[in-house]
Amino acid sequence: MNRMKAVVVFKWLRNPEDARVGSDGSVDWRAAKMAVSDDDPAAVVVANAIAAVGGECVGLTLGDGDASWAAARGASSTVVVTDAEPSANSAATAAILAAGVRSIGGVDVVLIGDTAWDRGVPVALAGLLGWAALADVESAAVEGDRLRVTRKFGDGSQVVDVVRPVVLAVVASRAEQHAPGMKEILAARKKPVTRITMDELGVEHDTTVTSRGTQFPATTAARVIDGADPVAAAAQLLAALRSDGVL
Amino acid sequence: LNVDSWIFVADDEPIGGLLNLARELGGRVTVAVVGPRARADAVAAAGPDRVLWHPTTVSTPPEAFAGQVAAQVKQAAPGVLLSSDAASARVLLGAAAAGLGAAVIGSVRAIAVEGENLVVSRPAVEGKVIETLGASGALACIFDGENVPVAAAQPTAVEEVPTEDLGDALLVVETIPAAGGSAGLRLAARVVAAGLGIRTRSDLALVEDLAAAVHAEVACTLPVCDDMRWYDSNHVVGRTHNQIAPDLYIAVGISGQPQHMVGVRDAKVVVAINNDPNALIFKTCDYAILGDLYKVVPALTAALQ
Repeated sequence: MNRMKAVVVFKWLRNPEDARVGSDGSVDWRAAKMAVSDDDPAAVVVANAIAAVGGECVGLTLGDGDASWAAARGASSTVVVTDAEPSANSAATAAILAAGVRSIGGVDVVLIGDTAWDRGVPVALAGLLGWAALADVESAAVEGDRLRVTRKFGDGSQVVDVVRPVVLAVVASRAEQHAPGMKEILAARKKPVTRITMDELGVEHDTTVTSRGTQFPATTAARVIDGADPVAAAAQLLAALRSDGVL
Repeated sequence: LNVDSWIFVADDEPIGGLLNLARELGGRVTVAVVGPRARADAVAAAGPDRVLWHPTTVSTPPEAFAGQVAAQVKQAAPGVLLSSDAASARVLLGAAAAGLGAAVIGSVRAIAVEGENLVVSRPAVEGKVIETLGASGALACIFDGENVPVAAAQPTAVEEVPTEDLGDALLVVETIPAAGGSAGLRLAARVVAAGLGIRTRSDLALVEDLAAAVHAEVACTLPVCDDMRWYDSNHVVGRTHNQIAPDLYIAVGISGQPQHMVGVRDAKVVVAINNDPNALIFKTCDYAILGDLYKVVPALTAALQ
């Protein structure tokens, strides 16, 4: 048996680039939508590679955004936890995803982008499922009953033979290479979507971690040298670097 | 409040920053080290209260120990779990946090005790602000702060933990060393890097001439490699590629995206040459020349010759 059911988790965070920072350092997240991170496309590529061997790829996402992103990239169906909000506690976000994975059932491998937006969720998800996990994953292939995973390791890479079930946190090495066309996007909207709530999953809203606010970082201002006179600026910089002992 | 802590180590990066964070909480500090004996000895030299060493073989990746380490953590029931951002250590942290029912917070810079709560600060919104978070109960933190040197008068005794049957869930097939090329950059005392402020490929000569004049290695940002294909990925500095610690880093035409700046966080002096007064890099660099790189860089090269 080497048909595997892969779940790809996508759009599980809000895009911090869309959050508005006020002049007092406060943050307004209202304009920030649930978004695809830089690493989500890499996760779906790995999910498809696994599902291609007679298997299946199912999308799992949080919130009320467009749920067809993974379907347009090969997922046969998608599960949406409609009232889920990403939490400051990565373990709480992971608990929602873990319940989603369990509700799908019979899952062999979960692929999730190892995004810089939240470094805790992929590993907390593996912990809550009680599954083996690897992070910094670049690719994976079905090898009989197991998976052969390539991940970054130190300055090089490492190939690890992995038993199912497993959580793989995937990192992108470049931008998405094969974005779907209009045909795939339209077809994706006809694929089945299961909408489910936190209540139906039996997950409670978490209050163990609460934000007490934000402020601008205390930065030691850079010494700015006016480059209008390049020769003078160069001399000034070199003098400063010599006095710092780095030249 | 339980402020005893466990730190998970599965690579050879220095642990000074993590250990410092744990010590400031005032509790007992245990480090679980997965890997070769030399790694455990290096951790022991920093002097935590306890060092538990899980020896690995060539065929077992550190993640294979996640279950065993998590079971030990559950038994010891510390209040705080810590790891670096590195892939293997993070997996150990995730397993232990789940076993303990701990909350998990990423990118943590500092932790303080406030009554019955822990108060954590971390950069948020792509590093534009610092967020303060209050947490009740056990807490697992992924540390993202700077390393600080620590040394103990006497090393801690290393306790070897007998390996349980790990099964065959995770088996190393092959470990492939770096393709080469990045070692020079990683060890370089001086680095000059090119960003998208450089307009054409032939203009890279400006950067390379400056690097030659200051005896530095040449590096670049991710888009200069990925989008422009001007340098290969061995030259890329940033979170997903090389993280370097030169004495001097000169960023030419680099805006300073968080992804890139993480790669030079341990640099001693960062110089930015940029014509955009609002460039993000001006918030984190030590010296900035605000001006046209096409005039400033040749002047700098000439002054060095």
